[in-house]
Amino acid sequence: MGGLQKKKYESGSATNYITRNRARKKLSLSLADFRRLCILKGIYPHEPKHKKKVNKGSTAPRTYYLLKDIRFLLHEPIVGKFREYKIFVRKLRKAYGKGEWSGVERLRENKPAYKLDHIIKERYPTFIDALRDVDDSLSMCFLFSTFARTGKCHVQTIQLCRRLSVEWMNYIITSRSLTKVFLSIKGIYYQAEVLGQTITWIVPYQFAHNHPTDVDYRVMATFTELYTTLFGFVNFRLYQTLNLVYPPKLDGPGEASLRSGCDEDYALDSESYSEKLSALSASLARMVPVMEEEETQLDHFPAEGEDLEKMEAREKAELERDAQKNLFEGLKFFLNREAPRESLAFLIRCLGGQVSWDKSLCIGSTYDVTDETITHHIVDRPNVDKQYINRYYIQPQWVYDSLNAKMLLPVEEYFLGVTLPPHLSPFVEETEGDYVPPEKLKLLALQRGEKPQEEDEEEEDEEEDDDEDDEQSEEDEEEEDEAKLTEIEEKRTKGKSLPVKVTPGKVKAENRTKAEQEEKAEEKRLAIMMMKKREKYLYEKIMFGKKRNIRDANKLAAKRKAHDEASKTDKKKKKKC
Amino acid sequence: MAAARRHKRVAASQPGFLPLKADLDGNIADIKRRKRVNKNRKKNWNKYSDIHDVEDFLDDVRLQERATGGLISEKPDDSLFFVDLGEKEKDTRPQEEETVKKSRSSKPLRIDLILRPASHIQAPKNILAFQQPNAKKQRRIAEKAAKLAAIGVVPRRERLLQLRRAAATTRVPVKENPACNNPQTPFYDLWSAGTPETADPYYLEQTKKKRVRRPSKLNEKPSVLPAVEIIAPGASYNPDFFSHQELLREAHKVEVKKLKEEEKLQRQLAVNGEIATEESTFNEQVEGLIEEEEEEEEEEEEETEQKQPEEETEDTAVGPSATQKKKTEKQRKKEKAERIKELQKKAERQVIDRRQQLFQLRSIHANLKKQEQVTKMRRTQRKANQEAEKSMPRRLGRLKFQTPDLDVQLSDELPGSLRSLKPEGSILKDRFKSFQKRNLIEPRERAKFKRRIKVKYTEKRAFREIK
Repeated sequence: MGGLQKKKYESGSATNYITRNRARKKLSLSLADFRRLCILKGIYPHEPKHKKKVNKGSTAPRTYYLLKDIRFLLHEPIVGKFREYKIFVRKLRKAYGKGEWSGVERLRENKPAYKLDHIIKERYPTFIDALRDVDDSLSMCFLFSTFARTGKCHVQTIQLCRRLSVEWMNYIITSRSLTKVFLSIKGIYYQAEVLGQTITWIVPYQFAHNHPTDVDYRVMATFTELYTTLFGFVNFRLYQTLNLVYPPKLDGPGEASLRSGCDEDYALDSESYSEKLSALSASLARMVPVMEEEETQLDHFPAEGEDLEKMEAREKAELERDAQKNLFEGLKFFLNREAPRESLAFLIRCLGGQVSWDKSLCIGSTYDVTDETITHHIVDRPNVDKQYINRYYIQPQWVYDSLNAKMLLPVEEYFLGVTLPPHLSPFVEETEGDYVPPEKLKLLALQRGEKPQEEDEEEEDEEEDDDEDDEQSEEDEEEEDEAKLTEIEEKRTKGKSLPVKVTPGKVKAENRTKAEQEEKAEEKRLAIMMMKKREKYLYEKIMFGKKRNIRDANKLAAKRKAHDEASKTDKKKKKKC
Repeated sequence: MAAARRHKRVAASQPGFLPLKADLDGNIADIKRRKRVNKNRKKNWNKYSDIHDVEDFLDDVRLQERATGGLISEKPDDSLFFVDLGEKEKDTRPQEEETVKKSRSSKPLRIDLILRPASHIQAPKNILAFQQPNAKKQRRIAEKAAKLAAIGVVPRRERLLQLRRAAATTRVPVKENPACNNPQTPFYDLWSAGTPETADPYYLEQTKKKRVRRPSKLNEKPSVLPAVEIIAPGASYNPDFFSHQELLREAHKVEVKKLKEEEKLQRQLAVNGEIATEESTFNEQVEGLIEEEEEEEEEEEEETEQKQPEEETEDTAVGPSATQKKKTEKQRKKEKAERIKELQKKAERQVIDRRQQLFQLRSIHANLKKQEQVTKMRRTQRKANQEAEKSMPRRLGRLKFQTPDLDVQLSDELPGSLRSLKPEGSILKDRFKSFQKRNLIEPRERAKFKRRIKVKYTEKRAFREIK
């Protein structure tokens, strides 16, 4: 065989990987700077498949990067900026040490700074790429914008995050693209559909912060740096798609200037505008004044089979979305001061409602408590002293649940002092055979248009009927009337016509479906019979698993029923007592 | 005579020259007799030519210029002479006082007078002071600037000045290079199609005008997990009873597992058997010293007995020295025949077996199928594992990824309303862990603070006194 013997660790994966320290030395950066660079450029450590081959026979766990990635990093101009910054810090320290205050000032003025525009462009070549990755930046920006300005991170960063998140919320409001909300014990999860992309983000509750110690703030700040830049560009583009002015401007400057007198109580002049923007109560100015909205009809293409089904499903979803968008159209809300203002205002405005709050609570309130046209008053305390008769006093959960249900839920269950129905997660999608909580079943029934079965307890609540139900029932009655009329007409025509007649053949829709079903069942049975032994075994196994699931679900449901009954009897006992 | 004559000649060449020094006026007495010397050498020329008269004359000219600021002969008469009108009468006293005052105020200080240059000749001007350095270069620069200005290009300094002026009028501080966390960052359309580059790409790359293309592999995410993982439905602020129970069960499982591990650790660390007390250690140390001699002897004997057999066994174990005898021819032949026979038997057996396999065809078939099935299953399993690994946190450093604790509120902690909700856990930590889980950063430990120099504790005297 001839040829030189190959040496170990001189080719293959040993040369494809580089350890973190060696990479750091190659770039001549400090560890912190190296880490920052990697985060900004999107270069992540890599776990080699065979550690022994990479680490010269040792399996000690170390951090590896791909050598090609590091070579790519060598071309980055920001590396130079990092070095400049290092020198700047050194000079500043020296000037401080010597007490050269003018020198310190001069250095401070010429502090080296870097921009990440080119990195964003490089990492996200198209706008849609950026939009797909915006989840992270949203969560981070909303998180950082709630931080206290205590030196855990730069105040400027907090301000920028706040600005960007307010811009985002305003965009979502204007485009009305919010689809789901979930109030968890951790924070509020939102989901929106923006330009066909599903975007999920989490927002912390206000005043919920304790700063955890086991989090590397420097790393988080670096991520935020990147994400704010990305987020800003995405916002700009989104505003452009809606023909909105960027940076956002409130619609109707005349009004703003009129109200500026009383705004001085809230904020400085410089800040009052951004505060008003963040109040979310006013709509934004557009580049082109809004045209009369045309109802765009979807183009219909002839489709067959599965395509048709898909199309129908899509159309149905589209209709649902439209309904959800205008859910609160024409409703007027008032938020009591204990309700979470920002979240509720955001939601209500997303669904097309009007919202206001107490003047002393926050800037940007548009009407007073005494306004007669208010339809819903959101209260989060057991009782209210002065109640107006022409509005509902409801708990905040109603707003969230209505959005998730894509319909106005009956208000009775959310009145003051009433035990609320559970707040279900809209992100759970049950498959067939899973346990579905009864509340969800009820909701589904409501969505299908069925009326909930009346229970003993609901009779008490029935005294306060809501308008929606009345309207619905009125509509139903109208329909019934029409049906009766047609019937009468038919009878009349029957009476006048000759006894000999040609009756049109009745279409037995039910029979046909039944027959179809039977046919299908027969086919299935045959198919099972025709199965090979092995396949049959597998089939039976699958069916058994399904049945087991159903059985489990049934068990859970029974349990729940027992639990409910027990709790009911308890309640009754308590009432009696 | 000759000198006088020459002098006269000099004087004659300067018509109307008035010497200041008296001795220049034809002082002939000093004139020595001229020595006759050959002046064919330079030395003699230097030595014997008399230039006193010229030097004296020039000296006088210089003196006049120094003392009076010019040649006396050229001065107008007014400056040289005055008409004597006798002594002026002294004025009245008040006037005198005024003049005194005036003179005092106008009169320069004596020190200034002393320091004033004695000579009337103006100091020569410093030419360099009036010459512009790099005049040529600057002229050229100015010409170029004029040319640019004609085109309409504003120089950088001018531009910066204008910027500053504009900033002053609008009262918005203009910074040339704001940082990326500047809250007033003006964003623009990053993804709009700019003007396409027409120059040679290789040239652009080499001159670092164009960035190196990012490998497309870098845009793949290291994990398939979503950026925001949604919490279980049981963690709703007002959860459905059963989903809440489910979550609690989940949390309970985790907790039990942790407890088990801890217990295991405790068990492993526990001391086996008796713990040494003072008494036992003492006994151990003293053992053998107090014991009676007889016992010792017995023990010694026993020890020797034990040693002997050990040695014997060692000896036997060391060398199995079986020297084999040489085989005879006959034996060898026999062995060979046996070997061949064995081989034949084996071959025959194989043939038979193969023939038998024909009847085992079904079972072989079944076996094969079974094997295939196993490989298939393994393959699918491997695929599934690989798929699952995509969403698993990898081992990226010294530390393993630690899954964070589940955020759970117990049944009695659940709030009745949104107002009384106490948020659980921290989103910051959740985000941080999410980054780690998605393999964006490696799990790390906070660096521990190590004190290099030992701290010395001393009591202050005041404190000691009180104590």
